[in-house]
Formats: sequence, structure tokens, C-alpha cells
Amino acid sequence: MMKHASVVVIGGGIVGSAIAFSLLKMKTKNVCVIEKSYVSSGSTGRCAGGIRQQWSSPMNVKLAMRSVKLFEEFEKDVGMNIEYYQGGYLLLAYTDSEVDDFEKNVRMQKSQGLDVEILTSNQIKEKFPFINVEDIKLGSWCQSDGHANPQLANIAYAIAIRKMGGEFLTHTTVTGIDVQNRQIIGVQTDNGYISTKIVVDAAGFEAPKIGSMIGVDIPVHGERHQILVTEAVNHFLDPLVINFNHNYYVRQTHHGSLMMGQGDANPASGEDLGNTIEFLEEMSEKMIKDFPLLKNIHIVRQWSGAYDMSPDAQPIIDESKDISRFIYATGFSGHGFMLAPAVGESVAEMIIHGQTVTTDVSNLKMDRFTIGIEREHNVV
Amino acid sequence: MEGRILDHPILNFTRKKRVKIFFEGNEIEAYEGETVAVALHAAGIKVLRYTPINGRSAGLFCAVGKCSSCLMEIDGMPNVRSCMTKVKAGMQIRRQHEKGDLV
Amino acid sequence: MKEYDAVVIGGGPAGMAAADVLGDHVKTLILDENDMLGGQLVKQTHKFFGDHVHYASTRGFEIANKFIDKIEKKPVDILTSSTVIGIYPQNTVAYVRNGHEDQVKYKKLIIATGAMERQLPFINSDLPGVYGAGAVQTLMNQYGIFPGKRFLIIGSGNIGLILAYQLAQTGVEVRAIVEALDKIGGYEVHANKAKRLGIPILLKHTIVKAIGDESVQGAIIAEVDDKFNVIAGTEKEIVVDTICISVGLMPITELTEQAKCKIAYIPELGGYVPVRDERMRTTNPDVFVAGDLSSIEEATTAMIEGKLAAMQIVEDVKKIDLEKEISNEIKTLAIFRSGPKSLKIRSGLEKMGIVTPRIEMPKFSPLPNSENGKLHAVIECTEEIPCNSCESACKFDAIKVGENINTPPVFDPLKCTGCAVCVTVCPGLAIFMEKSDESPNATLGIPYEFLPLPKSNEKMWGMDRDGNYVCDLTVKRVVKNPNKTYIVYVDLPKEFVDVVRHVTYPRKENPFVCRCEEITVDQIEKVIDSGITDFEEIKRITRVTMGPCGGKNCKMIILGIISKKTGIPISKLSHGTSRPPVKVVEFSAFLRGDKK
Repeated sequence: MMKHASVVVIGGGIVGSAIAFSLLKMKTKNVCVIEKSYVSSGSTGRCAGGIRQQWSSPMNVKLAMRSVKLFEEFEKDVGMNIEYYQGGYLLLAYTDSEVDDFEKNVRMQKSQGLDVEILTSNQIKEKFPFINVEDIKLGSWCQSDGHANPQLANIAYAIAIRKMGGEFLTHTTVTGIDVQNRQIIGVQTDNGYISTKIVVDAAGFEAPKIGSMIGVDIPVHGERHQILVTEAVNHFLDPLVINFNHNYYVRQTHHGSLMMGQGDANPASGEDLGNTIEFLEEMSEKMIKDFPLLKNIHIVRQWSGAYDMSPDAQPIIDESKDISRFIYATGFSGHGFMLAPAVGESVAEMIIHGQTVTTDVSNLKMDRFTIGIEREHNVV
Repeated sequence: MEGRILDHPILNFTRKKRVKIFFEGNEIEAYEGETVAVALHAAGIKVLRYTPINGRSAGLFCAVGKCSSCLMEIDGMPNVRSCMTKVKAGMQIRRQHEKGDLV
Repeated sequence: MKEYDAVVIGGGPAGMAAADVLGDHVKTLILDENDMLGGQLVKQTHKFFGDHVHYASTRGFEIANKFIDKIEKKPVDILTSSTVIGIYPQNTVAYVRNGHEDQVKYKKLIIATGAMERQLPFINSDLPGVYGAGAVQTLMNQYGIFPGKRFLIIGSGNIGLILAYQLAQTGVEVRAIVEALDKIGGYEVHANKAKRLGIPILLKHTIVKAIGDESVQGAIIAEVDDKFNVIAGTEKEIVVDTICISVGLMPITELTEQAKCKIAYIPELGGYVPVRDERMRTTNPDVFVAGDLSSIEEATTAMIEGKLAAMQIVEDVKKIDLEKEISNEIKTLAIFRSGPKSLKIRSGLEKMGIVTPRIEMPKFSPLPNSENGKLHAVIECTEEIPCNSCESACKFDAIKVGENINTPPVFDPLKCTGCAVCVTVCPGLAIFMEKSDESPNATLGIPYEFLPLPKSNEKMWGMDRDGNYVCDLTVKRVVKNPNKTYIVYVDLPKEFVDVVRHVTYPRKENPFVCRCEEITVDQIEKVIDSGITDFEEIKRITRVTMGPCGGKNCKMIILGIISKKTGIPISKLSHGTSRPPVKVVEFSAFLRGDKK
């Protein structure tokens, strides 16, 4: 374990790993990631792996588009095939207000240069004959959206970080952060002390716990979301399908299994990673209705993970006003995996240059909560 | 020694009604109460599927629904555990190749 | 949703004994996955040990029938063909019956899900014809199907010994029982039953590989040393069409984990077991366990445990004083566990804080363990065929065929100069070159007609006359000849000079660990070698334990591989989380409209 680090990243999930990887790639030395359990033990390891660019605000679309660029280069850059597949995202609209939103969003997304289009119900039926299009008014379709295996991506980053000379500590818990005169001087862990001037809090829904060690308030809370996975079948489903109206998403993994989840009506806290039978019941009903061919497919496993929810369901990426060089990247609200490569790059730029260079993430600063909140609508 | 045991020093095997089932289109002898894997085994059919990644032959292994070795395509549905599925008259059974097709 | 005072999961000896007691006092439901109660008893044709209270001298399937008769006369709800898929919050059991999911609530729960067979990965262990011993019993004793013709049994525990006897009863041939340890695992009487039928029990032997393309056609077995490594050169092939694995059982703890019961790794009890007290109560006060799930033992102890758990539940729910009966059962258990064969169970239970009264044990004395210098041709041509090319080629009169060209050659090594011309001319490739002196290594020359041609200093495999791997060896030189029969000279341990008859490049033959995802031992070891030793990370990289069986079959083997390679004991390794459903279930099972 290193005694001194230039930057300590707390949290070895996809966000923390991407930040550390980007720092090392930009030639920063002595970067240290601290993970309290194993690699991908937290939300990343429980995530469904969708990668989409169809968002409702221009800055979010830009950030997501940058992320997709980096996912396209991931295997070359980071060194592992992470089952990245650009099979598209299909968003389904059932109501007039959804139709209005979709049409408005697609116009805006196109103006940002995204390869997105509106599909009529008939076009959807033609493209995906196994989807029950009854009551579907239209769809929003982006071919360059896709999905990947988050667990492999997380592990790939960890391996790359170690290869590039960074330290990736697992099974190590941060117990305190040393601060003098609003300057960070070190991080205390249950395995020893690391002196550092820069700390990144990428602890997901536990980011507030880290912040509270030095009196920084981070308005994020954990929310339990459930996922199930079926047995593998031969590939038939290209896109990740989101159905806001019926409240679910589903994708077919590289392995062949169908992975899907929904937003619970009254989600449990992120501390509670239990499972409910109601989730299986509700998903079964929806799948059989919308994908009749799935009627007899077998569910193999269910699990749950925590979304790190922010008040407006958008990430919080900023440097503390109170503690110098305390940077946080959290509140991803279920979209951390897909944004991680671009967020990693942006945060690394913030650390090295004092500001972002490649992608503007100023809309994700903390002060937006005092100025006024515009909630991201496209959330399951 | 293949097929069904007729005389046994300890056990009496009384078989129920004969039903017609079909393996790869051919009729196979089967009796009500038997599982698909059992009826196939009695007919000397041990290779129940070919595995998706390596294309290796696979057959019955645990016989009690605790592994995935005996998955077959039964009446058009892939990934059916043949060790836990009882035979039914007219059943169409096929060896599964790869992971099974839904479309 | 229906609510019961007591729900029993599993209708084997433990579950049935529990339901038998519960049915007299409280509202009870017993759930079982099979279409009749009885568990493993229904497959057993042999007479059981024990006492008359616990059905001694009764055959297993008859014990099951007697229990079923008793329980059916009591106000107990029996749900067979009902697969429990998970334990959920608020004391809820979810199960699937006839393709439909349903739920019940319990005040008290007895989990008696028993055990499953440990696996043993060897090359081709995934071939059809390799079965768990239980599968063979299911086919043979439950359905009356001949599972095969010629059998090899791996493991000499009671299940293996009983299985051998049962197979012989149906008239099929059991070629051998192999046992890696230096003593028979099961009861001596069971072993003697098999032995007197002429079934050899090969101690310190293991299976190396199964042979066959589509299904099993044979097996290679070999001796092992004290560390269970195969002793090179002891491999032999036996012709069998069925291989039965009976290397022990391990408790099925998934549901207890989901019911938030604490699990401990106690190898003496079978591996991971739920922590429980003397009265079978787990760390969740509403949940009890009994039978093989709590420790791998016999049907008799399972029944007593089932009774104990049931009596405690009756006390809890109905406030009836059964202390006298409970202490009687505890005493009975202690007696059953007092023999030397129960030593492991006793020490395992002690680790959980349950002390079984000691009885003087007889001492065992362990059995003692038993254990010209120039290059010349070796001619292996014994068949009478019309050929004398070797005789003609030899300029030194060392090979004589004689007047009748069909006579096999006679060779005089004293006259041989080692020129090796005969090797290159023999049409049958039946002549080899050998040089063996005091040094531990010998030289062997092998006629070779394959590509790629080996190069000097390459490491290759020496193969025996049946094409089986014998040893690693090093190529010394390759002599090319115009007729394209080249001679590959290799350096190999002296003891193999008469065994190796072919060389080949090392093959990537590797036993499968995970049937669902087709993952080999090698793949797992490579990940560990790359520095990733956390079970969860290995799982994510390779997909082991993520298939439809949920890791039931492979988890222990993988933990074993991690433990062996890292030196960390299994008890210190993280072993992942059990996720529902524990058995695969169709979406359609959840269709509300179809529900009763």
C-alpha cells in the first residue's frame, strides 16, 4: 500500500475506476483507488449495463455521446472485451404526452448530432415482430445506443489501473479524512494511512457518508432497484427496450440471457438489498404481455442494487466550496455505468486543469439545487 | 442390457398406460409417469443436447432437476429439463443445439 | 395468502418425521418437489440400519411408504410436485406447482432440503454416461431403467458401495469401485457385500478421464500418491459405458441463507451448514433445520432431528410442555452418534457448540504404505504377416526373419549398432530405438509421420500404446529421411522408455467445472494466476455459478481451486450470495389470471 498518493479515489466502482484510469492515462502518477469490498461489489456489479444517449437535456446528451465514443474505444484503450454491443435503444410511447415528449426530445437530440429517429408503431412491428405493439403510439430509436457488461468493465479498469502503475486497494475501508485549514492532508483506512492533497468521493450512494467525515453535505440517497435474469437463448433482441409507461427495461446480454428491471412503486432504501416475489410477479405479467415469446423462458436469478439518487435524478459532479480539492462524482441515479467513461475523463480534467476540457458538465454542479431543479424525465 | 428392467429381486415395476412420444420425429416407447429423460434412456438415447459454446454432447447427469445437463427442446420450447418433465401423449422432443431459439 | 403454524420444506426422512409430529398438534404444510414424499428413501432397495423405532431392517422405499400412510391420516396439508423457489420477507415461502407460483406464510419453518452430490471434475466428466450416483439410482430403482451395461463407480462411501450392490442386483457389470483414500469410506458390511460379488475396490485410485466421443466408452483410472496426485505410469483403461460419481454429499443451504440463518463452513458436517442449536433452531428463531441439510448423516439421525425440531415448534406455538420427549430424543441422537464412524459429526457439532457425550473408541492402527548403455532397436512385431523389410535393411545381421517371410522377426541386440535404418523402413512403424543406462533418463527414438515436425528442445507429451498421456518429455533431435518416416529422439524418464510409443504436442484437455457455462479448471486457474483471487470477481469474469443451476454443482469445486492456489482455507473465503429463485421458474408461473 502506497504511503503517499497524488489523488485518492474513494470507491472502486465504475465511476471511481474510470476517474482513476483517466488520471493515469493523462500521466498522473501515484493514483490510488480504495474499494471497501471486491471489484464490482456495489452498484456496478448489480447494474443492467445499458448505454444510451437519448436524454432530455442537451448537456446530458453531449456527455452520453462522449461516453459512447469512449465505449467504442474501450477494448483498445482499457484492454478487455466488455461485450459492448451497439444494438440500439428503443423507447416506447403509449400516451399523447409521451408522444409530445419523444418528438421534442428527438428534435433536440438530432440538433446535438445524435443518430436518433421516431419509429411508427408499424415500423416497430416490422423491425421487431416479436414485440406486442398493441397501444404503442410510436418509438424513439437510436442505433448507436447499446449495452455492455458492467462487471467486466469495472474489472477491466481495475486491471488496467494496476498495470499503469496505479494502486487499486480492495477490502479496504476509509475510516477518516484528515483536513487542516480546509486542506486535505491524508486519508485514514483500516489498512493504513495515505497522505494526499486530493480526494475524489466516488462512493455511490454512500458518498454522503464520506462527505460527512469532513462536514460536506451531499444530497444523495440509496434506492433499491431489482433486476432479474433469465436463462440464455440464441440472440434475437438487438435493442435495449425501455417502456416508461409499463415501467420496465429489458435487454439481451451477449451471453444470451434476458436482463430486466423496473422502478418499484415504493422503493426500499439502498441499504436493503433484499428481493421481493412481487417483482417477479410484476415483471412476468409485463413480459408475457409485451413479449409473448418469453412466456415459458425460465428466470434464473433475481437480485437488487442501489441507485445513488440525487434530488433531480442527475449526477452531481463538482468540487467542494468548503474543503479544497475534495471532488465528488455521485448521484448518478441509475445511469452511472453508461456515463462513467466520459465522467472519468471530465473529473480527471477538473483535477489536472482545474476545469473540464472535452465535455462541459457545468450543469451537474451542486449549486443547481439552490438555483432551481429541472428533473431528468427519461428515468426508469 | 438396455431398456426397462422387467424382473428385479427386490422391486416390482408396474408400468402405467403406454403413450406415444416422438424423439427427432421418431416414435419412442414411453409410459405415463416416466420423465422424458427416462423414456429416452430406456430407448438407448443418451445424448440429449449439444452444448452452446463447445458443441459437446451432454446427457442426463443429476436426474433430479439440480443441474442443466439434460436441457432439451420439448414441444418447441427450448431449455426444458427433460429429467423433470413427465411424458405426455404426442410430445415432440428434440435434441437442443446451442442455446435454443425463441423465434 | 394461507398461513400455517408450521411449514416443512422437503419430504425426505427428516421432513416426514417432522410432519408426523407436527400433524398431531399444529396446522401444518409439507412441501416437496417430487411427485411423492419420501426423498431419497424411495430410491433405496437395501435394508436400513438403526433400531425398530426408526424402521431398522426395512428397505428404504418401504420406510417412505409407511411414513406417507401415517402422515396422510393426519390433518397435514401435503403439496407434492411443489418447488420452493425462495424465502421472502414476512415469513413467506414462494413455490411453483403445476407451472404456477403461489405463496404461503409460516409461523415456524422447518427446512429439510437435504443434500446434493459433490461433483468431481475430470477430463470428459461432462460426457453423457457420467452420472451422479443418485441419478443412476433414480433411473434404476425408481423408473426401472437399465442405466448402462458396464459401470465404474468413483468413491467407496456408503452410497458408492450400495450403488455397486444395487447395480449387480439388476444383472449389470460393475468393473470397479475406485477410492482415492487408503481405506474404504463406507461401512464394512456394505463393502463386503460388494466384494463378495467380485467387485474390486481399488484403494488409492482415482479416475483420470472418461473416454468416448458422444458418450462414455471407457475410463482411465490410476493410482494416486498421498497427496492425491496421479502416479505417472499407473494409468490404465477400463471399458465401461457408465461412470457414477459418489464422492460425498453437501448440504443444500440456499433457502436457509435466504431465511437469514447464519451459515458456517464446517467440513466435518459436509461443508457450509446452517448454524443451529441442539434442538435444531437456527439463528433465525422462526426457522429450524433437520436432516442432511444440518449435517451429512444417515436417515435415522435425520428422522430424529425432524422430530426434535417439530417438538420444539409445538412447544413454541402451542405452549405444550414436551421437555421430557425432547430430552429423550436428544439422548437417542447421542447414542446413534457414539460410534467411530460418527467421530467427524461429533467434532463438527462441537465446533457449533453442541457436545455429544463421548464413548470409548477402539484404536485404529494405520496400514503401512507399500511401494546397458548403448542405443539399440526394439522390435514390436509379433503378428505373422508377410514382411521382412527389417531383415533386409539391417547390414549387421541383427534381425532375423528367416525363410518364411511370415515369421515375426527375431532380434539380437548385441549385434545392433544403433544405425536405425530398420526404424525408417518398417511399414508397420513397429520398431523403436532405445538407450538406457545408469542415468535416470533414457533416450527413445520414435518413428514419426505427422506435422508439424517437432524441433530440438521442444517439450512434448509422451503417449502410451493406447494413446494415453504418460509423461512430459523433451525432443533431443529429429532425424529426417527421404522416405518421410522421420525419427524423433526424445529424452524421458527411464521408467517410461518401454511405455511411451508416441509423442504429441500438449493437448488442451481440461476438465469442466461448470456445466451450465462450460468453464474449465484451466480457465479458472488462469484468472487466479492473473492475480484475481476473489470468488466474486472470478465469477464475474468467467460466469461460473451464474448459469441455470445457480452454482449448486460447481461452487464448492471453485472455492477448492481458489483455496488450493491461494492457500487461504475455504472457511476464510467469501462464497457469494444465494439469489432466488433457487430453481429456474417460467414467467408464466407468475401469471395472476391463471392462479387458483
